[in-house]
Amino acid sequence: MTFAVVENWVEPPLRRFVDDARVLIALVLHPSGQVLAQSGFTRAVDVMSACALAAAIHASAGELGKMLEGRAFGGLHHAGRERQIFLAPVLTPRSTFLVLAVFDRESSLGLVQLYFNELSSGIAAAAPLPVEQAPVLANDFERELNRNLAALFGRA
Amino acid sequence: MKTPFGEMLGVLIRQRGVIGSMVVSESDGIIVDSNLSIGVNGPTFAALTASLYRKARLAAQAAGLGGVAFLQLEAERGRVCAIGRDDLVLVAVAEPRANVGLIRVEMLRALEGLA
Repeated sequence: MTFAVVENWVEPPLRRFVDDARVLIALVLHPSGQVLAQSGFTRAVDVMSACALAAAIHASAGELGKMLEGRAFGGLHHAGRERQIFLAPVLTPRSTFLVLAVFDRESSLGLVQLYFNELSSGIAAAAPLPVEQAPVLANDFERELNRNLAALFGRA
Repeated sequence: MKTPFGEMLGVLIRQRGVIGSMVVSESDGIIVDSNLSIGVNGPTFAALTASLYRKARLAAQAAGLGGVAFLQLEAERGRVCAIGRDDLVLVAVAEPRANVGLIRVEMLRALEGLA
């Protein structure tokens, strides 16, 4: 199982989640699409695509939830024929993060939800407090994204 | 919300020593309907029991023993009984003093209604 993190504090709770929930792929990312940690991917391009899609799905579902219920939806589950995805936000004092998990018949939605709750608590407890940051510009975003991918796949 | 399993679960929960009964989706580990006493964490229990039942079923198949007829887990302070059909698992949580024989009969009878 490939495992890589950009920020070390994510690793222990994410490793526990992957082991306990028996998920095939797990991603922790910022809602902007920047990756923090991944498990199960072997190619940087796949991580980049998955992060971009997960961020877009979360943004769309969030707006849809606001239109329908006045607030963003929580978790999102999509069941495919062989594999299923679970996408949900984790709220921490530092920021909101997204977790994307892909699982098959070795696991189940109930198990993923159960261990996702533990992952949320673990991430919230481990996340460092927010620091003053300059606004993210388009140029910075791409540079940051590439830096994170390079860190994940050992090309830093 | 009323489901077709309400009456079945009601019959089970009325057995002496039974503190919870529920119907769970085996593949999802999500509760379909439940009748639980306070103190039983339904979603957690459902997810883990469905996983346990699925693994027991696969283990029995792998050993060439056929399907799982009745699964019973004995713990320090009670027992868990499970029986399944068509991706649904009927689960009962009971105290140690419960009559497992009676619970088993009721669960086998209820199996017809699980389809």
